[in-house]
Order: sequence, then structure tokens, then C-alpha cells
Amino acid sequence: MSAPGSQSPVAPDERPGLGESGNDPLVLLELIQRLKVRDVMTADLVTLPRDASMRQAQELMRQKKISGVPVEEKGRFFGLVSIDDIIRALVAGTIHESCGRHMTTKLVVLEDDMPLSFALRYFDRYHYGRFPVLNRDRRLVGIICQRDINRALLVELTRELQRLESVSVQRGGEGAAGSLYLLREFPICKYDFENAGKAANQIKQVLQEKKFATKVIRRIAVAAYELEINLCVHSDGGVLSWQVSSGRAEVIARDAGPGIEDVEWACRDGTSTANEWIRSLGFGAGMGLVNVRRVSDEFEITSKKGSGTTVKAVIYIEGGAA
Amino acid sequence: MTMSEVAEVLQAEVLVKGDGLLRRVGHVMASDLMSDVLLVDEEDMLLLTSLASDQVLRTAQIVGAVGVVVVNGKPLPSSMVNVANDLHMTLATSRLSKYDACVAVHAARHPL
Repeated sequence: MSAPGSQSPVAPDERPGLGESGNDPLVLLELIQRLKVRDVMTADLVTLPRDASMRQAQELMRQKKISGVPVEEKGRFFGLVSIDDIIRALVAGTIHESCGRHMTTKLVVLEDDMPLSFALRYFDRYHYGRFPVLNRDRRLVGIICQRDINRALLVELTRELQRLESVSVQRGGEGAAGSLYLLREFPICKYDFENAGKAANQIKQVLQEKKFATKVIRRIAVAAYELEINLCVHSDGGVLSWQVSSGRAEVIARDAGPGIEDVEWACRDGTSTANEWIRSLGFGAGMGLVNVRRVSDEFEITSKKGSGTTVKAVIYIEGGAA
Repeated sequence: MTMSEVAEVLQAEVLVKGDGLLRRVGHVMASDLMSDVLLVDEEDMLLLTSLASDQVLRTAQIVGAVGVVVVNGKPLPSSMVNVANDLHMTLATSRLSKYDACVAVHAARHPL
């Protein structure tokens, strides 16, 4: 089920998709990387078995006001009956025949643990109205359409706005105290070596512009770079954030998985789970967390296997910016 | 020695002049392991490496290296030149091996 078939294409839109123009707000880019397809899809599915008639499919679509019905039995996904399939059956006089015979079987599907950005690219590339979603066991677990994405993004953006408003209040407090306050977040994608290191490079450039002491810049930059590479190499993707306020710089890397089984072991010299490919790129020697700890005045790591990891490095800034 | 003089000793082709060509080279680090490069605390360091990737330049920028010389005459991906330009990092290539490049720089600094 990988080739595009008659999956009800919608009119193509020539404008660049979300995350493709290079001008999208950072918060949106972070959201579409952080959210998984499973967070957005409709999981409460209306399905039919293969021996249901196309007439039953037509009636179900009318009642539920939906434009496609997945055909599945005990979680096994066989195909999709779309409005196109119904029209073809009406024209050919086969509306009383089984869905199994007239459904679309050449389908493009998504996996539930793919990032939302991947789903958006699929909507742009194939111009279909919906995609069935399978889990790792190839079982049907949901269906995703653009309306699901719009709804999820609105909910998440509202949450993000509330969070930014609270940060803004804190920022006002810092400003009143006369301290410099910088805050920025960077979404980091798994194995994205084309961009790995860019965030740390930008952090260093900002600190140089603000004329911080060379040694302080170096320590913050090394911590940010090591944590950024770690997110790229070891996590399923995450966010690198940094802030400078009240005489201290904080660099925080947080991800949603896969988590570290033995944190103490991971923080030892030379221990790494990186594969040969990562090592061929000059990383994965097991020095990353050790080096972050070396350049930090405060170092914290929390992780749990199967969930996320958060690493916080704090560097004291004596004298602040010039 | 300046980065420009070191490039001459290494018979290197300078692909991006960057900000480092006239800077003094105080230390040379030869490594393909970026994790090791990040452990060095010298600001006036030249990085000799046989690794031809964008991350070499990003690592060099983080540690404030004077420049990067890719040895063994390795062909460079075109993206490296773009990244070096973006970061104002001096980038050169040399046909010498990493070992011979180290020997050449040492001999130039400490002539017999």
C-alpha cells in the first residue's frame, strides 16, 4: 500500500506548505515536529468489513457525514471506500456488490509515530483528502484529514500562546531588575545532520554580538552544541532552548523519547549507543554529556526509558554582557 | 605563524578566506572526532581533519578555531563552502596526510 491510487485527490495548492517556506514562525515549526500523527488523527473510527455492500458504505458516509470509510476486520486494514468509489459503483451499477471488490486498495498510508510535519508533506505531495494511519504492527489505528490538523494546531497554538504570555510576564520582571533577558527555542529533528549544530552556531553569534566574555561564550556554545548533537543523534527529535537572565545562562534540551535506561552509565566517559554511521560523522564517542557537565556550573539530567529526557546546563555569567 | 603561512606550508588550496587567514595559529589539533575537538580549550587553534562534513565547520566555529584544513586531498561537498562562508570560517584543503601535515607545521615552526 504505497503507490497513490484513487484516494480522492483534492485540488493542488501551489503555495509552499507549512514548514517549507523557511519563513514560518518558529513556534509552528516546533509544533509540527513535536506533534505525532497519533496526537492529531481521529482514532474513533467508523469501519466496514469487506463483505459489506457499497450501498451500506454510501449510507454510512451519509449518516456520519464522512467522505471515506476504511475497510478492516479485527484491526487488519484492507482498503478504503471513498466518494469516488461510490460514484463509480453507482455509474457501473455495482452499488449492491461488496466493498472488498470495489474499494481502493492502492493507498498511501501514514504511521502513527511519524511527526506531523511528515503528514503535512504527504498532504502537499499527494493532494489526498485523508490518509489511513497504521501502527508499527500494520494495524489500522486511525485516519487523518486536514481538518484534524487544523483543529490540533489551533489547540496547541492556544496553549503555546498562554505559555508565552506567562514568559512575557516573567520577562517584564527581569527587565525591571535591569538584567539582560534572552530566550529562544530551536526544534531539532532526528538524524537531521544537514542542520545539526546550526542552533548552537546562532547562540554563539548572538552572545558575541552582546559582547559576553570569550570564555563564557565558549562554555555556553559547547554545552548547546553537544546537547543539540545529542538530540539529533539519540532522540526522536526535541527542542533546544536557552536563556540568559540574572547572571546565568541556561541551556535546556528536552525530547519525548526514547529515554535513557541508565542515566549514570550514559554520563560516563566513552559510553555511547551511537551506531557506526554516527561515528563516521565524527560523533558518538560518548563524550557529549561528560563535556556538557565539564563546561557547566550546574548540570541536571532526568530521563526514563520509554519516555523523554531533559538535560539542563547552567553557566554562571560573571559581569554579564559588556 | 599566521593561518595564511600555515596554508602555504601545507601546500593547501584556500577555498574560503573567512576571518582567520591573518590570525595567528597558536595550536594545531589533528582529529576526525569532533567530540575530542570540543574538549580543547585553546582559542587560536587550527583544525586538521580528514572528515569532510559541515559539522567540522560548525564544531570549529563553536571552539573559536582559526580555520579548518581538510587533509588527504579529500573532495569536499559543496555545502561546506557555503557553511564556511556563513560562519566566516577559513577553509582549505591539502593533499598531505594528517601525519605529514602535522610534521610540516612543526618543522616550519621549529626549523632544524
